[in-house]
Amino acid sequence: MSVLDELVAGALEDQQARERVVSLDDVRKAALAAPAPIDAKRWLKRADGIPVIAEIKRASPSKGHLSDIPDPAALAREYEAGGAGAISVLTEGRRFLGSLDDLDKVRAAVHIPVLRKDFIVTDYQVFEARAHGADLVLLIVAALDDAKLRHLLDLAHELGMTVLVETHTREEIERAIAAGARVIGINARNLKDLKVDVNKYNELAANLPDDVIRVAESGVFGAVEVEDYGRAGADAVLVGEGVATASDHELAVERLVKAGARVKASETTPLSEHQGPYWGQFGGRYVPEALITALDELERVYDEAKADPEFHKEFMTLQQRYVGRPSPLTEAPRFAELVKEKTGLDARIFLKREDLNHTGAHKINNALGQALLVKRMGKTRVIAETGAGQHGVATATVCAMLGLKCRIYMGQIDARRQALNVARMRMLGAEVVEVTLGDRILKDAINEALRDWVTNVKDTHYLLGTVAGPHPFPAMVRDFQKIIGEEAKEQLKDWYGIDHPDAICACVGGGSNAIGIMNAFLDDERVNLYGYEAGGNGPESGRHAIRFAPGTGQLGMFQGAKSYLLETDEGQTLDTYSISAGLDYASVGPEHAWLKDIGRVNYSWATDDEAMNAFRDLSQTEGIIPAIESSHAVAGAYKAAADLKAKGYDKAVMIVNISGRGDKDMATAGKWFGYLTDEQAAALDVTGAHGNTVA
Amino acid sequence: MTNTATTPSGQPLGISHKPSRTEAMFDAFKAENKPAFIGYLPYGFPNPDVSLDALRTMVEHGVDAVEIGLPYSDPVMDGPVIQAASQIALNNGESIHGVFKAVETVAKAGGVPLIMSYWNLIYHYGVERFARDFENAGGAGLITPDLIPDEAGEWIEASDRHGLDRIFLVSPDSADERLEVVSRNARGFVYAAARMGVTGERSTIDASPEALVERTRKAGARNVCVGIGVSTPEQGAKVGAYADGVIVGSALVHTLLNNDDRTAKDPAEGLKDLAAKAESLADGIHNAR
Repeated sequence: MSVLDELVAGALEDQQARERVVSLDDVRKAALAAPAPIDAKRWLKRADGIPVIAEIKRASPSKGHLSDIPDPAALAREYEAGGAGAISVLTEGRRFLGSLDDLDKVRAAVHIPVLRKDFIVTDYQVFEARAHGADLVLLIVAALDDAKLRHLLDLAHELGMTVLVETHTREEIERAIAAGARVIGINARNLKDLKVDVNKYNELAANLPDDVIRVAESGVFGAVEVEDYGRAGADAVLVGEGVATASDHELAVERLVKAGARVKASETTPLSEHQGPYWGQFGGRYVPEALITALDELERVYDEAKADPEFHKEFMTLQQRYVGRPSPLTEAPRFAELVKEKTGLDARIFLKREDLNHTGAHKINNALGQALLVKRMGKTRVIAETGAGQHGVATATVCAMLGLKCRIYMGQIDARRQALNVARMRMLGAEVVEVTLGDRILKDAINEALRDWVTNVKDTHYLLGTVAGPHPFPAMVRDFQKIIGEEAKEQLKDWYGIDHPDAICACVGGGSNAIGIMNAFLDDERVNLYGYEAGGNGPESGRHAIRFAPGTGQLGMFQGAKSYLLETDEGQTLDTYSISAGLDYASVGPEHAWLKDIGRVNYSWATDDEAMNAFRDLSQTEGIIPAIESSHAVAGAYKAAADLKAKGYDKAVMIVNISGRGDKDMATAGKWFGYLTDEQAAALDVTGAHGNTVA
Repeated sequence: MTNTATTPSGQPLGISHKPSRTEAMFDAFKAENKPAFIGYLPYGFPNPDVSLDALRTMVEHGVDAVEIGLPYSDPVMDGPVIQAASQIALNNGESIHGVFKAVETVAKAGGVPLIMSYWNLIYHYGVERFARDFENAGGAGLITPDLIPDEAGEWIEASDRHGLDRIFLVSPDSADERLEVVSRNARGFVYAAARMGVTGERSTIDASPEALVERTRKAGARNVCVGIGVSTPEQGAKVGAYADGVIVGSALVHTLLNNDDRTAKDPAEGLKDLAAKAESLADGIHNAR
């Protein structure tokens, strides 16, 4: 006899004993006379959360005694206060130590749907549930034959109750559907041997029809399982022990409800309007508590600004009159010829010219937007990190214009390879602090900026330069950068009469220029999106900044967000390498991590060699010298063209985002291509101006 | 979704309900009207072996609970002294796998073992696996400087299953509602930062920590300890007058560093200095009231 058979036999015996006291006819009358049931289906599925069915559970056959629960009504009220969507009351008395008395007490205590959970195999038990005020009953497919299942389902539906139909296998799911089940529970615990198999849900849930409410049953203990089940597509979860045995029941339920809300919020569409804090499982706020109040303030002020037409007006006026927007969309026919030679794809290639912005890169879009927020917040001091120097220069520039005190943190190695940008920032009145701790590159500059912020958060704003870091930075920086794609889309139509591009290419360090140009096209599936990371000496060399290729980045939390991260076996951040300081970062913005996981953006990489060849190609075919960072996108154009060709395109329209100009990189390029005499190169060596080799 | 949290018969672990060792310690100190002394040292500093001696030394010389730091490449809440010590430890082969030996060492010496770690190290090791190994080694609780309760779902679940304390931080700028979120989710104690900023010694301590301790208690915390910037017996006495525990980090770490603040001292000399520093701090803290 299996455990289930035994439980059913016991429940039946107990029911028969009750029937000797109260006849079937009386219990039917009581059921019909009871106050109308709540339509529980409306409580078990919602767009903004994963309802939690919290269970009153004293014991179970698998785990024995769990909790005394002397006052089930009080417990139910705590569940309700914690935000439970329904209460499940175990009425089986032998092994679960429940009773109909518990059901009565709970029914009287709460205003949310109540489920009678028992081993129900007779009409009597269904009437009894209704007579005691249940809105839901549980039917276990494994305990019933098809005819009985259909009969009991119909009876419960006639009485206005919702039926949670518990299944364990594909076969049982099919039987449940055939019998007319509208709410299906998948029990991840195999009742035959009592082993819990949480992963089973993933396989089984795929089988459920769309209009059926899916409840993950059993195996749910805490936030982890709620999140996993939610991501696998569960509409609701049933939790027993995890809430019944918690020392603070209300808080335990509240945590689960929050976890569910977070899953739902992380999956909202359209893709382009996603606001964080979570993109899928990525993002969040992995920062010291000391920064939370400031991040909350920033989020609030930004939300207000977003809704304020005056803010937009000021921002757009400055974009036009100070930055020089819109930046042109330039056709590159001679470069396209080169791409055709190499790939066979007959492409029209357009360059989005962020290099023509004031300060020479896209970074000013975000620096300007955040600086205006600083004014709104009434803060007086701005700090920022910089790698290649472009964001540092942009920040120093807007701070000079708006009269804000400005300090830029820069890793010592970066400060040497971008010495001219250090001078530019100082020229603009900023204080530049060279960071000599850690690896002395971009990530160490961010660490030092975070330490400064933790200390001076009252009057200081951290003007983060990319779509990484804690919420609200990834969404906010994206919003300030998405003008790139919006302009490109319009210009392609207005200037060239082309409805939409077939492909977009951008380089991805933290990912702000890529998000900026891609956002306007995220929900247009005709547009293939390509992101190129810094390949350094190639993925096998260990000297690169590729986070997305197999065997490179792993899931981790870094500088405020969960994303992909280059790290050691111990979880220590790995050194990264790229010829471009601006792409030389161990992690990547959480929205990119999500776009990778859902397959919307095709991520690959360009090595130093490929990027430098592209740097030369574009310079010599179009007279446009791209930043080495942007050259990774140019190199990517060849790869994207080959991919499009492989996908069956013969002709294609491509946009390559030229995120910045290459003037700052001439020392590196001059040496790379041997355009300098030995003496000239030696003179540069003295300052280490192109110094990847600088220790 | 792998579940290592199972009983021998294959059943998942439930909520542990094991009493909190840290709370028991505070209860004992409260009965004597004294604050507890919590000392910090990174595991593996200056090297794994000497760090075990150093941890033992701390307990033998008056430290009640030891905050064993896990060295991290990117410690955003730490000032130069602890950054230097962590770097030395990493250079000398520190590994998270060894930290459980440090936990055992502290427990065996009679101290309450706590770990202080940036979240990515625990996440990467595996949250459930860490909780299991930490519990098995006799650990009491984990201090998470860059994990707020709102992001701590997995850790709350694992710590519940393994009966471990969850120590979150609050700072003088924290709004009242944040103090409530932290206090509700904390177990063991709440770590109140004496000032805005990163770890490191300071010559003066202002009045803000006392107000913060008061506000945190009002928000529901049973035990509130003060750290960050406490470095002398006098400061320890001042803070110990109102806090349930006094946390000292950089000042202890400092005793094992040479004057350049970048290299480790000769171990024998370092341990002697560490013992003396711990004793004088313990004297100040334990006699604070």
